[in-house]
Amino acid sequence: MSTEVDASGVEAPDRSAGISAPGTSVPGTSVPGTSVPGTFAPGISAPGISAPGTFAPLREQLRSAATTFAGGPDAVAEILTGIVDDVDRALGEDLEIFPVCHHSPAAALAMARRLREKQPAVIYLELCEDLRPLLEELRNCRLPVAVQAFASELDGFPAAWAPLNIVAPISEASAEYQAIAYALDTPGVELVLVDRSADHVFQWTPTESSDPAADAGPESADTDAAPDDPGGQPAEEAALHGEAVGIGMGDLRPRFAELRSYLLHHGKVRHWSEWWDQYVEQPLADADYDTYRQVMVLIGSLFRRLRPPADSGRDDRDEDRERYMWTRMRQHMAASGVDRSRCLYVCGAFHAASPVEEFGTAPGTPDWEISPRTGTRWLYGLIPSSHSAIERQFDLAPGSVSIAQAGWAKAVGRGGVTPYQLVGQPAGRKRGRAKKQAAAPAAPAPVADRLSGFLSRPPVLDEVDEAELLAWCVDIVRLARRNGYLASTADAIAIFETSILLAGIRNRARPTPYDFSDAAVTCIEKDVVPGRRDVRRLCDILLGGDRIGQVGYDALPPLARDVFDRLAPLGLALEARTIQRALLDLTAHPEQVPCSDLLWVLHRLLPDGVVRPIMGERRLGERSIQESWDLGLGRHQRAVIELGYEGITVEQVLEKRLRRSVWAPDATAAGALAAVEDAILFLPSRRFVDELGGRAVDLLSAERTVDDAPEVLRRIRRLLAHYRNTEPELPAWCQSFVTTGYAHYCTLLPTAFVDDETGVRQVGAMLGFLFSMESLALSLGCDRAQLELAVRQSHPEAPAKVALLWAAQSQLGLLSVAQLRSRCAELLTNPLVVPAFPHYLSGFVQALEPVPSLAPFVVEVISEAFARLPDPVLLPWLPKLITTLREQAPELVPLLVREAGRTFPAGLAALDAWVPPWSPDATGPASAVPDAGAGGLPVSASGPLVGLLRDHPATCDAVAELLGCDTGWQSAGSPAAGARSSEAALLLHTHPMTASAVADLLADLLAEPAGSR
Amino acid sequence: MTDVLRAPAEVKYAEELDWLESVDDGPKPFSWRLSPRMVRLFVLGSERADGLDREIPQKWFGDRSFVERSIVTLASDRGLLLIGDPGTGKSWLAELLAAAICRNSTLVVQGTAGTTEDHIKYSWNVSMVIAKGQSRQSMIPSPIMTAMEQGVVGRFEELTRSTSDVQDALISILSEKYVSIPELDDDNIVFAQPGFSIIATANSRDRGVNDLSSALKRRFNFVRIPVVTNKRSEAEIVRFRTTELLRRHRIELEVPPTLLDILLQSFADLRAAAAAAGSDDEKLESALSTAEQIGVLEDAILHSQFFGDRTLRAATLAGSLVGSLARRAPEDLAILNKYWHGVVEPRSKADGGSWPEFLEGGREAIATLS
Repeated sequence: MSTEVDASGVEAPDRSAGISAPGTSVPGTSVPGTSVPGTFAPGISAPGISAPGTFAPLREQLRSAATTFAGGPDAVAEILTGIVDDVDRALGEDLEIFPVCHHSPAAALAMARRLREKQPAVIYLELCEDLRPLLEELRNCRLPVAVQAFASELDGFPAAWAPLNIVAPISEASAEYQAIAYALDTPGVELVLVDRSADHVFQWTPTESSDPAADAGPESADTDAAPDDPGGQPAEEAALHGEAVGIGMGDLRPRFAELRSYLLHHGKVRHWSEWWDQYVEQPLADADYDTYRQVMVLIGSLFRRLRPPADSGRDDRDEDRERYMWTRMRQHMAASGVDRSRCLYVCGAFHAASPVEEFGTAPGTPDWEISPRTGTRWLYGLIPSSHSAIERQFDLAPGSVSIAQAGWAKAVGRGGVTPYQLVGQPAGRKRGRAKKQAAAPAAPAPVADRLSGFLSRPPVLDEVDEAELLAWCVDIVRLARRNGYLASTADAIAIFETSILLAGIRNRARPTPYDFSDAAVTCIEKDVVPGRRDVRRLCDILLGGDRIGQVGYDALPPLARDVFDRLAPLGLALEARTIQRALLDLTAHPEQVPCSDLLWVLHRLLPDGVVRPIMGERRLGERSIQESWDLGLGRHQRAVIELGYEGITVEQVLEKRLRRSVWAPDATAAGALAAVEDAILFLPSRRFVDELGGRAVDLLSAERTVDDAPEVLRRIRRLLAHYRNTEPELPAWCQSFVTTGYAHYCTLLPTAFVDDETGVRQVGAMLGFLFSMESLALSLGCDRAQLELAVRQSHPEAPAKVALLWAAQSQLGLLSVAQLRSRCAELLTNPLVVPAFPHYLSGFVQALEPVPSLAPFVVEVISEAFARLPDPVLLPWLPKLITTLREQAPELVPLLVREAGRTFPAGLAALDAWVPPWSPDATGPASAVPDAGAGGLPVSASGPLVGLLRDHPATCDAVAELLGCDTGWQSAGSPAAGARSSEAALLLHTHPMTASAVADLLADLLAEPAGSR
Repeated sequence: MTDVLRAPAEVKYAEELDWLESVDDGPKPFSWRLSPRMVRLFVLGSERADGLDREIPQKWFGDRSFVERSIVTLASDRGLLLIGDPGTGKSWLAELLAAAICRNSTLVVQGTAGTTEDHIKYSWNVSMVIAKGQSRQSMIPSPIMTAMEQGVVGRFEELTRSTSDVQDALISILSEKYVSIPELDDDNIVFAQPGFSIIATANSRDRGVNDLSSALKRRFNFVRIPVVTNKRSEAEIVRFRTTELLRRHRIELEVPPTLLDILLQSFADLRAAAAAAGSDDEKLESALSTAEQIGVLEDAILHSQFFGDRTLRAATLAGSLVGSLARRAPEDLAILNKYWHGVVEPRSKADGGSWPEFLEGGREAIATLS
C-alpha cells in the first residue's frame, strides 16, 4: 500500500477560463498582457512582481502558434495562454511563491541561492501543519528520514481504518530541506507549516472507503516504475515506510497517462524521472531565479490544465488544500503583522498556479472555513527512510532518487552555492556552515519575461564530463567483477564508447546516468546473471546506491530511548544497521537479567527478525542460564519507533496489548489463558495476571462452542503446574476457572457428543479437562454427580465418539474392561460394522488423553484390529492413524509406544512362544498381565507399586483406616491375596489419585537429603 | 515491387533508404550509409516531431532502447548478438539494421549443426584449384569474409546452433579483424574494411546446446529481445506483417478487427496459462511468440482464400490456431482442449460476437486431431 497523498490535480480548462479572482485576465476576452491590477498597488515594487504586459509577447506568440497549428483559436489556444496567465498570476502575488518539485536538485539549488539572497523572515511550507514540532528533531537524524503522524485510537473515523499512519519523507537533495535548515538555524526566522493537518488528510477521504490509504493513491497509469525494470530493490529497504500513506511536497508529474506517454515517447526516454532530468532538471540547474520560477509555474500549470476528467474529485481536494494554505498564511500574517515582502511561500509547482478564490494575500480575499480536527489523538515521530522507500512510495523509477542525490552532490561540489544544513546533523560529508546574514536582503527587482527565451532556446549542451564518465566505467567493471561477471578493462572502454554513442543518438552531448547504465547493460550483461544482482542494479548501486536514514537517539520516542538505555549493559552498537549478536551469561552476570527480560518482551512485541533468540527459551517453569540473541534494532528502527506510539515503556505496551486482546469482541478463553501465560512470563505483576485470569473465567463461561477445548486444556494444565510449583496455593481465578470449566464442560458434554460439528478431539479434550481436574474441582466444591449425569445423558452415534463415551464410562467405573473387550470383540465379528471399526479405534486413541489408564486396553484393541481386520479396511486407515496421532496427539504417542513395549516381547525369538496377555490362553508367569480379576483391571502381584506398598505400609494403613477398611495386609503369595486382589485392584483403579499422590509424596520425601528433614 | 518472392529489406525499402540518405546530414561512423539517428528512424519509423517531409513507417516494433543499443554496438568495436525467444523479431531487426547501415542484408551465414569453419572463413573451388592451383581466384569467400572485404555488416543467424569450435572461428575475426589464408604464399590476409561488423542472433530456447565460450561472449554485446506482451504493439506487428504477407501472396482479403482481437486474446490467455504451468507437460511446446500468431493468421487467410469463400471466418482461424499449436499429441491437444472448454466457452457465452463460431471451429479441429 504505497500511496501518495500529495495532490496537484489539474484545473478544468473551463473553470480556468472563467477565473474571476483578482490578478487574472480572462483568455480571449482581455487585452493581451493586461493583468488586472488589484493584487498589488501600482508603485509597490515588491520582489518578483511582474509588471503588466510582461508576458504579453509570449502570450501573443503562443496564441498565434495555436492558431497556426490548430487551425483557429480553440481549446489549445485557451490552454496555452491560460498557462501564461497562471505564470502571470503567480508572479503577480505580493507574497513570493517559490514553486518546487520532489527530489529536484535544481529546486534545492535555486532555494539555497534564493534564501541567501532574500533572507526571508517567515517561510511558509506546504507540509502538514501539525508536523512542525518534529522538524526541530531533524538535526538529530541522518537523512533521509520521514516525519510520521500515527493514530491508533480513532475518534471520528471508521474503526476499520485504524491505525492511521502517514509519513512525509525528507531527503537532503530537496528544496524543502533547504528551507527547513535555513529557517531553523537562522535566528529570527519563523517556519510555518500551512498545509492541512494529518487529521484533515483522512477527514477528506470518503468515509465509505475501506482502505483510506489506497483511496488517496495515484492511479496506476501514473506509476513511473520502468516497465522493463526487474524491480530488484531489496525488499527490506524499500519497505521502510511500512503501510503508511506518503505525503510528498511538489509532486510534479502529468496526471494524464496519455500526456505522460507522449512526453516520454517524444523525449525518447524510458521513464518520467529521466524525462524530468533531461528536459527540466539539467536546463534549470544553473538558471537564474526568475527563469527557474517561471518555468516551474509553467510546468505546474500545464499539468494542472491537462488532466483526465476522472481526476476531478482529487482536484477538488487539491483546491481545498490551496484554500487551506492561503487561509492559514493570511491568518498568520494578520496575527504576526509580518511584512509580506519578507515572507516566502514554498509549495509544489502544482499549487503555485492556483485558480481558487482564496488565492493571494490581498486585502479582502475571502477566507476558507477550516473544519475542526476530530477527537483522534495523533502521535508524531520520525522514522528512518531510504531512497528506495521513497521511490516505492511515490512510484518513482528505481534509482531516480539516488541519481537526484548524486546530481545534488555534484552541483554542490561544483561550487557556486553553499547549501544549508542543520547544525548538529550527522552528515556523510563535512560541509562548511553557511555564513549567516552574509548579504543584505536583495533589493526587489521587477520580473522580466524569461519564459520566451527559455522556451525558444535549444537546450544548452553540457561538455562531456570525461573524468566522471571514466570513473563510472572503471567502477562498474570492478563492481561487476565482484558480482561474478567476466568483465575487464576492455569492457570499461566499450562502456565509455557506448555511453557517448548512446548519448549522441539521444541528442545529448553529455551521457546521463541513464545512458551510462544502458551502455553498461549492453556491454557487460550476457545471457545469464551470474550473481544476485544484474548490471542495472549494480549501476544503481554505483550511482549513489540506496541511502538509508537514521533517526538519532535524541529524536527517538521515550520508549525507544528507554529500550536503548536498558540494553546499554550489553555493550553493543545497537544503532548499527548490521545484526548484533548478544551473548548473555545470566548466572555469571546477573546484571544482564533485566536485559534478558527486556529482550524477551521485545521478542514478543516486535515483528519477526528484529530481536531473534538463537539460544535460550522462556516458558513457564523454564529459565535459561545462557542466552544468545541476534539483534537488528538499528536495521528495524521503524518497528521500535512505532512501538513508541503505543506507550512509554515496552511493559506498558505489552500490558495494553494483552488487555486489548482479552477484551476484544472475538476474545476466547484459550486466548485469555495465553495472555495470562505471557503476563506471567514477561510482566511481574500479580494483579494484572489475576485480572486477565478473571477475564478468562468470564470468557469460558460465556463460550457456547468447545472448539478451543484442547487449547484450553493444554494451557490450564500448564498454568496449574506452574502455580503448584511456585505458589503455596492456587490463585483465586485459577480455582474459579477449574470449577467453572468443570461445570461448563459437564453442561456442554451431551451436546458435544451428538453435535456433528464438534470433533472427537474436542470431546476428548473436554473429558480430559473433566477427569484430570476432577479431584481439584471436587475439592473446590463441585459435584461428581454432575459429571456422571452428563455422561449418562450422552448418546453419541458417531463410532469415534461412541468409543470415547465407553472410555469415559470405564473411567467412571460404569463399564468394566471386560465389558469393553467384549463390545470390541462383537464389533470385530459383525461384518456390517467392521468397516467402521477404525473409527472406534480413533476414538480409543483420543481417549488416552482423558483416560490414560486405558493404554493397555488401547494397545490390545489395536493389536486385535491388526490381527483381525481385513486388509481393505485396515490399510487405508493406517496412514490416517499416523497422521492423526502426529497432528492432534503427539504427546499420546510415547504413552502408546511404551505400553506396547511392555506388552510385546522384546526379541524376535520370544515372539513364536508369545501369547497375548489378553488372550484366554494366557496363563502362568509367562503372561505379563496375569490376572485380570473378575472384570477388573489386571493387577500385577509384584512390581514397583507392590514393592512400594510393602516397604511403606504406614500410609496405606492410615488411608485404610480413614476409609474404614480393616481387612489388613496379605502376603503376595498367600491364597487370600489372589482372592482379594480384585477388590484392591478395583479400589486402586477407581481411586487412583490417592495412590499416585502418595507415590509423589514419598518420592519427594525420599529425594530430600536426610539432614533437611 | 520486385518479382522475387521475398525481397531483402534494402531492396524492398530502397526508395525510402535513398531518400533518407539524401536528407541525412548527421555524422556517419565509418562507411555507414546512414547516421545512427537515421538508422533508428528507419527502423522505428518517423514522427511529426522529427520534422521530415515524408512519413517513414515503423518496421520493427519493440522498445526503443533495444534499437538504440543495437545501433551503437554496431558503431563500436564489438559484434551484436540479438538473443531472445523464437519469433521475437531478432532476424528481422538484424536485417533492417544491415539494410539501413550498408544496404546489404544478404551476407548471411545460417548456423546449423552442420556449419563448418569454411562457412565462416573461406573454402576452395576444387576444380579451379586442380586446374590453376590455390589462388585468390579459386578461393570462395564466406559471406562474413565478403562483409570484411566490403566493410559492411555480416550476419550470423542462429549462432548457438553451430558447434563451439565453429563459433570460436569468429573470435579472431571480431578481435583482429582479419582472416589469414595460410594456403596462399602472398596476398594471404584479408583485412576488414571500416564499417565491418557482425550481427548474430541466438535463440534463448537453445541455451545449453552449444554455449558460447567466454572469449566469444566478451566480443559480443548482448541485446535481449523479449516476447511482446503489450497487446497494442502486438496488434500493430501482426497487422503490419499480415499486410505484407497478403501483398506477397497477392491476396485481397480483409482481416476483421474482431478476429484479430480474438487471436491476440487467445495468445495472451495461452501465455498466461504457460506462465502458470508447473512443468513442461502443462504448457504448449510453442513459444507463443508474435511470429507464431502471424503464422496462424497467414494459415487461416490462405485457407480461406483457397478452400473457403474468400472471407476470413472465426472457425477457420480457430482451426488454424489448433493446427499450428498442437504439435505434440496428446499433451498439446489436452492443453488446447482444456483452454477451449475452460476459457473460450465461457467467453463465447459472455462476449458473443465471433467467439461462438471460434469455439465451434476449435472444437471441430481438436476433435479431428484427437
